[in-house]
This record gives sequence, structure tokens and C-alpha cells, in this order.
Amino acid sequence: MNRREFLAAGVGLVGATATAGTLAGAVWPLLSREDLVPGQAPDIQLTPHAWRTGDDRVSFAALGDNGSGGRQALAVAEQMAITYQTAPFGLVALLGDICYYGNFRRRFDTVFRRPLGPLIDAGVGFELAIGNHDNALHFSDQGLSAIEAELELLGTPGRYYTTSQGPVDFFFLDSSIPGLYGPRASEQLDWLDDALASSANQWKVVALHHPPYSSGHHGSTPGAQERLVPLLSRHHVDLVLSGHDHDYERIEPQHGVTYVVSGGGCKTTRVGRSAFTAVSERTLQFLHVEVVDDLMTATCVRPDGSVADRFMLRAREGT
Amino acid sequence: MSGRATDLAVAAGFVLVGFAVVVAPAIAVQSGVLNAGVGSMDTDLLAASAAAGAAHVALAWRRLRDEERIAARRLHVWIASLNSLVVLALSASVLLLLVLYWFPDEHASLANRGFPVSLLWAGILGVAIVLAEATARFFFWWLEPHRSPTHGPGLP
Repeated sequence: MNRREFLAAGVGLVGATATAGTLAGAVWPLLSREDLVPGQAPDIQLTPHAWRTGDDRVSFAALGDNGSGGRQALAVAEQMAITYQTAPFGLVALLGDICYYGNFRRRFDTVFRRPLGPLIDAGVGFELAIGNHDNALHFSDQGLSAIEAELELLGTPGRYYTTSQGPVDFFFLDSSIPGLYGPRASEQLDWLDDALASSANQWKVVALHHPPYSSGHHGSTPGAQERLVPLLSRHHVDLVLSGHDHDYERIEPQHGVTYVVSGGGCKTTRVGRSAFTAVSERTLQFLHVEVVDDLMTATCVRPDGSVADRFMLRAREGT
Repeated sequence: MSGRATDLAVAAGFVLVGFAVVVAPAIAVQSGVLNAGVGSMDTDLLAASAAAGAAHVALAWRRLRDEERIAARRLHVWIASLNSLVVLALSASVLLLLVLYWFPDEHASLANRGFPVSLLWAGILGVAIVLAEATARFFFWWLEPHRSPTHGPGLP
């Protein structure tokens, strides 16, 4: 073998080894995991304001980690519109990470307007629990202005706030560090303590991005079970909705509080089971919730319309 | 195994591996869709990849057979093909990933206007195939003996 042959063969063999490792270890898993392939927005006309909200009833949906704008996000959004046709809802609780792969202001059409267009046109409202991809850099001015731009575009009042719909009081939290669990968390926790104490409605639903309990890729959020969970138990919160892990999980009631991870808005990751797990599944999904008087019925819907889970709760304050 | 049979077997192996690495990104995407619990899935990307893979098979097979006929050593053909496979595998997957990741809004806008994503997909794979073919031809040319230019009669 002459010098050129040796050099060319060496380049080929080293390149083949490195390429095989890179593709199998990083590139193909990334293509499989992310929702990068674009698709067409749902073309569905919905009857505006078709839902019924009264003192004793309300319907809403919960959607987490939906910020890709790709085919999978579009499939979930389309199924939400289809579900609206038969079971209309007036509110979508966004559980964070509403924008991946770039800035929300720049990607607004792709990740929000196009996928959720039928619901937006029908007058459905959107509330947001800020996620880590909505901008984790809270300490920087750039990070804060990105979050504020997001809130402004969505028309939500702040980084954490409460709102009421029918018999439900919703509490939207900013669970990013230092929002809820870091050293400067006491401000929001004190606010939540006061807000829950003064809540007069029959139902209390808390929405935040990072799950206190999870058996998914990220797992239970450190600090949540020590700092947040006792507060939620003490105030008889009925349901806690979260995202962050890209799966669906329902947790066995913990001190009377039911926890749900609904993070399958556009991509999925593996999920296991823990002692606290009631249901867990790796699937794209959203949650449809109907509250009538003291009964809540929640349904986890896959993009093909099939049901991954259904559960019912009785209002804790109502029992 | 005779020399001709070996040539055929090696050439077939190279083009089949080439086909596999062209189709692999689409399989990765579709496996993600399957894992996501989506009932039905679009097969347009698989079809586009299969078409690009078939084009690569035709191009590479013809090149390999030509090179085997004229090569000073068979080893030159195989080394050149190994390098072209590396470029093909890397560029097919990485180009797709980079293009999809860096220009998501442009693609979403195109797709929303009815532009078939499979065309974009096949186009990127086409670039990868061209790069791989150029690599194979460069390495083959570089490895083969270079004859001195001949001078015609009457020239100094």
C-alpha cells in the first residue's frame, strides 16, 4: 500500500467510525425526538363561543410543551379543534414551552397562530404557565424581555397570576428557577399562599411547567415536594397540571391533590413508573377537562382522537 | 470467489449501504412519530428518501462498474467508495437536521402554502448524493497513477 492509499484508507476508516458514532449517538436520535418536519395548519372552521360557562360549569383544555410548530404539534392542535366541535371549551391552559427553536415573537405564527388558529378564531382564551424554553434566563434583561414579549402577545397579565372561570379558580405559576424553587422563590410562594387562602371558588386548579411528581425524562422537580406540595395540600388544591416531561402521567392523589403531567404537545420522551404513578404513557396528547358542579371529568386525548386516560374528581371543598 | 464476483459483491454492498444511509433520516423521523402514539403517519418522507436512494444506487453502481474496469488497482475503487459513503451518510443526515433546525419558520410557511415538504427533503438528499459522488471521483482520481502528458510530433 503506497502513501496515498494508506492516507485515503485511513481517512475513510476514521471517518466511517466517527460518522457512525455521531449519527447513531446524536443525529438520528435528535431527528427522532424533535418535531422538526413542517406540515399544514388545520383547516377547520369552529363555531365561536360554543362552550357553556356558568357558576356551576366550565370546560377547558391543558396543553404542554407544544412549541415546535412541526407536524406533531399540528396533529395535536388539529385534534384539539376536532374535540372542540363535540365538546367545546373556552380556555386552554398552556403548560409552558410554547416556543422551541427560536424566539416567540419571531415564531409566533408558526408555533401559535397557525396550529391553534381554529381555536383562536373561535374566541378560545389562552393562559400561560411559563416554561424553561419560554426563556430560562430570568436573571438577564434579555431573558426577561423575551418572557414579557410572550406574555404580551398572549395577553396574559403576568408571570404568575390567578384567574377564575365558572366554578374554578386557576393559579398560573412561573416554576422556572428562581421563580418557585430557587433562593428568591419566597415572593411567589407567599403570593400563592395568600391567593389560595383567599380563593372562594369550589375548585382550585394550579398550572405550572415543572412537575412536582414525574417518572419521565426529567423526573420530579427538585425542591417542589418540599416547598410547593405542602402548600397545595394545606389549601386543598384539587388538581395540579404540569408539563416539562414530554409524556402523559397521572399521579395517585398525594395528600388529596391529583397531579397530572400533560407535556405531549409536540414531541415525546420515554416515561417509566414510580410508586406514585397511576397512569403513564409516552404519547402526544392534550387534556380535556369538564367541570359540572362538584364533578370534574378529565380526558387525555391522543392526536388520533383515542383516549389515553379518563379520570373523575370530586371537589375537595365540596365534599 | 472470482475477481469479477468479488467486484460485483463489493459494488452491491457499497450501493446498498448507500441506500440505507439515504433512507435512515426518514426512518428516524418516522420512528419518532410511531413512538409518539400517532395512529396514522405520512409516508411522503420515506417515499422521497427511497426515490433519492434509488437515484444514488443507479449513479453509484454505474460509477463503480466504470471504475472497476479502468482502475489500476481495485483497492482504489473501494477506498474512494468508502470515503464517498462517509460523506453521503454524514451529509444526508446532518444537512437535513441543520436545514430543518435553522430555518423552521421558512419551511413552515412554505408547507402551509401547500409546498410539498418531500420536495425539500429530496432536494437536500440530492445535494448529499452529489457531494458523495464528487468525493468518490476525487479520491479515485487522486489514487490512480497520473500519466505524464504526451507531446505530439513536431512540438518542442
